[in-house]
Amino acid sequence: MTKEDAKKRAIFLKNLRAQHEETVERTQTLLKEQKAIRRQICQPMRDGPKTIPELAQITGLPGNEILWHITAMKKYDLIVEAGMCAEYYLYQRPEGVK
Amino acid sequence: MTQENLHVDTLVVGGGIAGMQSALDLADQGFRVALVEKEASIGGKMIALSKVFPTLDCCSCITTPKMSAVAHHENIDLLTYCEIGAIHENGGGFVADVTKKPRYVNEADCTGCRQCEYACPIDLPNAFDMDLGAMRAIRVPFSTAVPQKAVLDIENCILCGKCEQTCPVNCIDFTQQPEQFQIEADAIVLATGFGLTPTDAKKEYGAGQLLNVVDALTVERLLAPTGPYGHVLRPSDGKEPDSIAYVQCAGSRDTTLGVEYCSRVCCMYAIKQAMLLSGALPLADITIYYMDIRTFGKGYEQFYQNARAMGIEFVKGKVARITEDDDKNPVVRVELIDEGSQIVERAHDMIVLSVGMVPGYNPQAIYGVPIDASDGFIEIPSPNIAPTVTNHEGIFATGTAVSPMDIVDSIVMAGAAAAETAAYLQSRNGHSYKLPISGSMEMEVAHV
Repeated sequence: MTKEDAKKRAIFLKNLRAQHEETVERTQTLLKEQKAIRRQICQPMRDGPKTIPELAQITGLPGNEILWHITAMKKYDLIVEAGMCAEYYLYQRPEGVK
Repeated sequence: MTQENLHVDTLVVGGGIAGMQSALDLADQGFRVALVEKEASIGGKMIALSKVFPTLDCCSCITTPKMSAVAHHENIDLLTYCEIGAIHENGGGFVADVTKKPRYVNEADCTGCRQCEYACPIDLPNAFDMDLGAMRAIRVPFSTAVPQKAVLDIENCILCGKCEQTCPVNCIDFTQQPEQFQIEADAIVLATGFGLTPTDAKKEYGAGQLLNVVDALTVERLLAPTGPYGHVLRPSDGKEPDSIAYVQCAGSRDTTLGVEYCSRVCCMYAIKQAMLLSGALPLADITIYYMDIRTFGKGYEQFYQNARAMGIEFVKGKVARITEDDDKNPVVRVELIDEGSQIVERAHDMIVLSVGMVPGYNPQAIYGVPIDASDGFIEIPSPNIAPTVTNHEGIFATGTAVSPMDIVDSIVMAGAAAAETAAYLQSRNGHSYKLPISGSMEMEVAHV
């Protein structure tokens, strides 16, 4: 992309964001919330794989909410399973992902 | 690419299994067909299921080839992500006003590589996985979607432009707008499908607030190889359940919900899922609380007997209430009819509501086709003689838009609708066709 094309594209996106101001605001808030929750979920995994109840106990977040975020991250290869502990699966960050 | 107006022999509305089968049967006879689907992919509800009863064949393995056949058939124009806003009569035929919703992706260029999806930062509940899993604001609808093209949900897009930067073929187009076009057709086949009794319909069963009380379609996704968790886990905490119970007639045969009819498929899908769960979780106890088991089709009774022999517990009794204990285990209160009618409370790890089929769409306003006042499905004047012929000449109906039925019956009926439509189309070309309906034919519906 040339410099001029990049500039045009930036102006176009800016105008589009202005047109969809409410949506952008809402999704930005959602993204911030998701990032904050995922930081809480991923932090304890640095010490080793964790189950959903363990993560719930550490973070204070509801188990179903943690499971949803784990499921989302697993779908896009940001979390992997690491065996089982009793009737719960263990989850960890994949190698090379912090 | 602008969608041009079309002139076809038949307009098929709905891209589920019934719509696809009708379209294929007509197209194979040489008729031009336009298949309109409101979602971004065809496949309907069947493509979300794990296996079919009583053969336990893989649903995807049956549906995907049909989806592909529809997409590649030379006589079928497949129009996904389109909605019909109005139908006008036109000299014995019809003209449909159609809106093509913007995908914000150039369909012709998109290769379905999903790189845009991986680049998108926004995760949203995935309706295809009954909200248990996530999807991105831009995504290919599901792994076997047809067409395998991305679609951008502008209502939930942060407009960061990452998808546009990542796309290797530059097919993201934020400038797309809804497009209007028309389809002229001599006949219409309505295959608009069904809805499910909402899980929050019954307050006695937790009104949708109990995390570990799910509906049967959710379990289909849990059992599917492409399911959200990749395993059967309960939604509250990811536990592999040791004890699962089915509550039958949780949305059918229930006057309090206004659904007096039997949905015909719940007994069989519950038995099927119980068998599949026994395979996925060999140590789990599976219980089915039922009023009576209705196994009406070929091989169905044997399927039921096999389930009993596998150790699935069938308990005769209508569940009165579902509550939750401190560990979020659902607790059923039920009268055990075969054990002296004693009333007991039993805790399970997860409960599945065998929800019923309800009408998914009312075609009266757009198509002028009335619904049956008794159940809300499309009215068929002579269901025994002409089960696909509606009150409106030239408009036929098929599948679960007409009444609750299983996949086998939907496919058979789709073939019938195609045959009826073909005869009607031939009559317009000078061949004789007599509508198999007369005002005096009033018979009771023969449901076995």
